[in-house]
Amino acid sequence: MMVLGQNHARARWARRGDIALRVLAAVPLGYAASSLWAMALARLLPGTRSGATVAAALVALALCAVAAMWAFAARSGWRAVWTIVLAGGVAAAVAWLSIAATGRA
Amino acid sequence: MSKGFRQSQAFLHTWSGLLLGWVLFLVFIAGTIAFYREGLNRWMRPELAQVQQPMRVLAGAQTFLARKAPDAKSWFIAVADAQSPGAPVFWVPQPKPGEGRGRGRGGRGRRDNQALIGADGLVATARETRGGDFFYRFHFDLHYMPVIWARWLVGFASMMTLVAILSGIVTHKKIFRDFFTLRRAKGQRSWLDGHNATAVLALPFHLMITYTGLVTLMALLMPWAVVANYTDERAMGDALFPTMPAIARAGRPAPLLDLRTIAADAERRLGAPISSIEVSEPGDAAARVTVSQSPNATLNTRTPRLGYDGVTGRLLWQAPPTGAAAETAGVMIGLHAGRFAGAGLRFLYFLCGVGGTVMVASGMVLWTVKRRERLPDPQCPHLGFRIVERLNIAVIAGLPLGIAALFWANRLLAVGMKGRAEWEIHAMFLAWAGTAVLACVREPRAAWAGLLGATGALLVGLPLYDLAFTNRGLFAALAQGDLMLAGLDAAMLVIGIAFLLIARRVARHRPITRVMRRERRATTPERQEVTI
Repeated sequence: MMVLGQNHARARWARRGDIALRVLAAVPLGYAASSLWAMALARLLPGTRSGATVAAALVALALCAVAAMWAFAARSGWRAVWTIVLAGGVAAAVAWLSIAATGRA
Repeated sequence: MSKGFRQSQAFLHTWSGLLLGWVLFLVFIAGTIAFYREGLNRWMRPELAQVQQPMRVLAGAQTFLARKAPDAKSWFIAVADAQSPGAPVFWVPQPKPGEGRGRGRGGRGRRDNQALIGADGLVATARETRGGDFFYRFHFDLHYMPVIWARWLVGFASMMTLVAILSGIVTHKKIFRDFFTLRRAKGQRSWLDGHNATAVLALPFHLMITYTGLVTLMALLMPWAVVANYTDERAMGDALFPTMPAIARAGRPAPLLDLRTIAADAERRLGAPISSIEVSEPGDAAARVTVSQSPNATLNTRTPRLGYDGVTGRLLWQAPPTGAAAETAGVMIGLHAGRFAGAGLRFLYFLCGVGGTVMVASGMVLWTVKRRERLPDPQCPHLGFRIVERLNIAVIAGLPLGIAALFWANRLLAVGMKGRAEWEIHAMFLAWAGTAVLACVREPRAAWAGLLGATGALLVGLPLYDLAFTNRGLFAALAQGDLMLAGLDAAMLVIGIAFLLIARRVARHRPITRVMRRERRATTPERQEVTI
């Protein structure tokens, strides 16, 4: 009985930790990754500079919601965290390279 | 769609919906009321006559400003129409030497430099009130807190809503069937059906209003795209909101042209009514007049603008197009505010807003209804359950009562009272705080019934009070052909009666959880639903 209770408690804490990771992935990391994608898209999208900027921000707002959904759909909390960090990292690299190459207005 | 995915989204739907649901309820109810912002601006100032001749008001505004502020830096005139309480005007004085390029629009300065021109073209004196504009501001600025914090909070809640809506769609196995399903008086099942019906029926509206709401706050919430492209964000502002090139004051006096002439020319060129006129350097040879088209006539909230020479009336400038993306954002904000919508569509907006408010409320109640059945001891629920239950009462039943109290304060506070406009709002929060106390001390069902009933009585009382003590009651407004005021009185009556009926139902309600439990044990469940 004792062992069973301990396992139960451990499973409960594991579940709480998993949810905490998903919240971390969904809220601060999701917002950060969306923001980085806003920067990357603002550099990459065609059209005028102001137009690309507005379009990028419009898309990034939707990405925030998608990131939150993904964070809870991913197989595990850790997976949610690293995939979102990776997605943000790609955007950061793109934005940084583009700004380093052609500068800002 | 895999079962795991749906279950994960159901979890997300429940918790993203619950945690900021109370903020969301406030945002929904205030935003819904704000669709009738102009109507309430007049309803809350019963002294004012309806504008019949907008051009007469405009001429009056020019006469007033020419006398009151002949040497101002600029004037701003909101053009009156039949739905506005008149023409609000304000002016910015010349900066004093050494004052620099300050905008000179500090809260206090602006308050002293404004007036309302009434239907007869003279300065109107009405009771001091924020009118329907309060609900518009309350909708995203909240109250008693710095607006930036409020907008972040509302923005965060809106993002949670977007997530709740999207995950709610995924959660639905049979979205089309739920559209037609409403099982009444079946406890939890009915709450779920009601939540589904209000959510699914107006689903395109909910998605649209949530996403476009985020777009209205985009510059605050998502400034990073601008950072990536500009070292100075003012350059972005200039590209998106072009203004007529400024010119220096000539120093030679020259009479300003009759603004009605310019207004008529602008309306002819734009092919649509105008909503505002800004005059820089009035009375000087370098006077310039900028005219904006009314957002009532177009989807895009960033409307076309024309610039005129204020002395000769020659057209000098037209706002250049800002590009597809900026127009898309402008149209989204226009869709959100619904200013373009005429009477019929505006009413549909209002109904969808009511649907959204009920969706949020039923979702919050569903959380408790669902969990009450599973409580180990229903007589003594755990702390989390009690908090949600009481907060639901305090917000879902309490806020409408506070709003009714605000309307009563608008009618009853002494007209000359100091700080009257602010006290109307204090009245709302005081009444609301009272309901929160009641929600904590009374037994839940009695608190629900009492608060809903009191709200109903207060709302029904308002049109009756108008009939008895003002000359703008329901029948008088109808006789004058003022459908807006008559409609608002009628709406308060109808909504008040609805509150009374709901209160009666709640008071007579006998919980059926016990019965349901026994039934469930006896028969196989009809549908093993995903937990939401």
